[in-house]
Amino acid sequence: MRAFNAELSKLFSLPGIWLALLIGAFAPAVIAALDSIAQKEEIIAGVSTRLTEVGYIGLALGVQGVIILGVLAVSSEYLTESSESGGGQQITTSLTVVSSRFLFLLAKAGAVTVISILLCIVAIMTTVSATHLILGEYAPAFEWSKLIGAVCYWTFTALLAFGITILTKNGIIPLAVLIINSSVVSFSVLLSKVTKLAFYLPDRAGAEMFMFTSDRLHTPFTGGVVMFAWVAVIFIVAAIVFHRRDVAS
Amino acid sequence: MSVSSSRKITQILGAELDKLVTLPLIWRTLMGTFILNLGLAAAFTSAGLQGAAGTQSILNIGLASMGYLQAGFIILGIFATCSEYTGGQIRTTLTTIPWRGFQLSTKHLALAIITIPAAFIIAASGVLYTFIMMRDTAVVIEIDTMIESLAGATGYLTLTTLLSAAIGALLRRTTPALVVLLGYYFIVSPLSRDFLHSIKNYFPDTAGYYMYMPPSSDEINVLTPMQGTGISMLWTLIFFTAAIVFYRKRDA
Repeated sequence: MRAFNAELSKLFSLPGIWLALLIGAFAPAVIAALDSIAQKEEIIAGVSTRLTEVGYIGLALGVQGVIILGVLAVSSEYLTESSESGGGQQITTSLTVVSSRFLFLLAKAGAVTVISILLCIVAIMTTVSATHLILGEYAPAFEWSKLIGAVCYWTFTALLAFGITILTKNGIIPLAVLIINSSVVSFSVLLSKVTKLAFYLPDRAGAEMFMFTSDRLHTPFTGGVVMFAWVAVIFIVAAIVFHRRDVAS
Repeated sequence: MSVSSSRKITQILGAELDKLVTLPLIWRTLMGTFILNLGLAAAFTSAGLQGAAGTQSILNIGLASMGYLQAGFIILGIFATCSEYTGGQIRTTLTTIPWRGFQLSTKHLALAIITIPAAFIIAASGVLYTFIMMRDTAVVIEIDTMIESLAGATGYLTLTTLLSAAIGALLRRTTPALVVLLGYYFIVSPLSRDFLHSIKNYFPDTAGYYMYMPPSSDEINVLTPMQGTGISMLWTLIFFTAAIVFYRKRDA
């Protein structure tokens, strides 16, 4: 529990985390609001086709906040300080204090999980109120099962970012790959046009927990299971690698 | 020791090139971008082959991966300037080269020297792959258009790299710069295209799009490649100027 508290306090003292929280809390609402404005014209014209996903698209794209969170949680530990302050890395201090590597990983993952769940709840509140404000009576119905799916999607994505960054130790590559992949022009959407296997990629499968895509393959539940399997596999690999690796190298 | 100014320029340029070449992440990024681009070109080609035969142009498919490709060059640009600020290298740099505006300009020049061949090779490899795979099915294109488009693509990628380098110099931290630029290029810009019809052509990435895409007839008020180049260049120059102004005023 003390290790968990320490991880929380470390996370909140990172300047980058405020960027992550800001993006996570408000970007979904902004995206949903922009989409609602565009949809409203179509509703009035009577040609709206995808009204049901108006708010959810904000939640699908606004996942960037927790990606930054998951990546920063790990990459900040590996940041080399300037030579004027000793040229050390935080990870050596962290592992001196919490000497069980497994416990350290667990505490950090726990902190990331808790923050992403809370962040997603905040995001859902801002998004739902934004769509209701703009669309009024046309606003899509927000079902609890779908909203829980969105929370799971956010948490799994954060943990995926977390696990990948443990393997790379540097935040740039996972950040770039994951941000692009969760955007409008994602790799998995492109690949799903080539092969059916792409539907088993984590983000494509995970999004089906709450998105209403026309060419879906999974039910919300199996989508969640597929994404969870990815998270579990990456986590086990990351834990083994982290356990066997020299600290700072 | 007094040195003539032309010799000074070559020395500074050599030093900046040296610094860039010895950054391992630059090579990893370029290699990764190259491999990724081939993979994406393969995906786009096979998606294109499944479509109606004989209707698509090789250039459109070969350059479709440009949207993703620019990410690698954004990382390249950010890394070139932000790496100075990790571990206090900037203080060594400014001790040896105390002319700040001069130093940043030569850094951009050195970056351009590395980027231009890399961008050309990577963009051309994608088009070449598509060309080999789709020779029989797609509409044949003239070699002139091909060269024009490749030159445009190279120019666009170079301008994007320099723009990212300028923003990296402004923000001085890798992660925020990366988030801001990737967020803009991959989320804000594609989303806002639907809402801002009138001014969307004047954003750096949409203007740059016309530098390499062969003009299609079904779009209204498109820019010519020259106009696109001009607007992209203007954006890069604005950010570059801002970076120099801040760089000169700020504490190291």
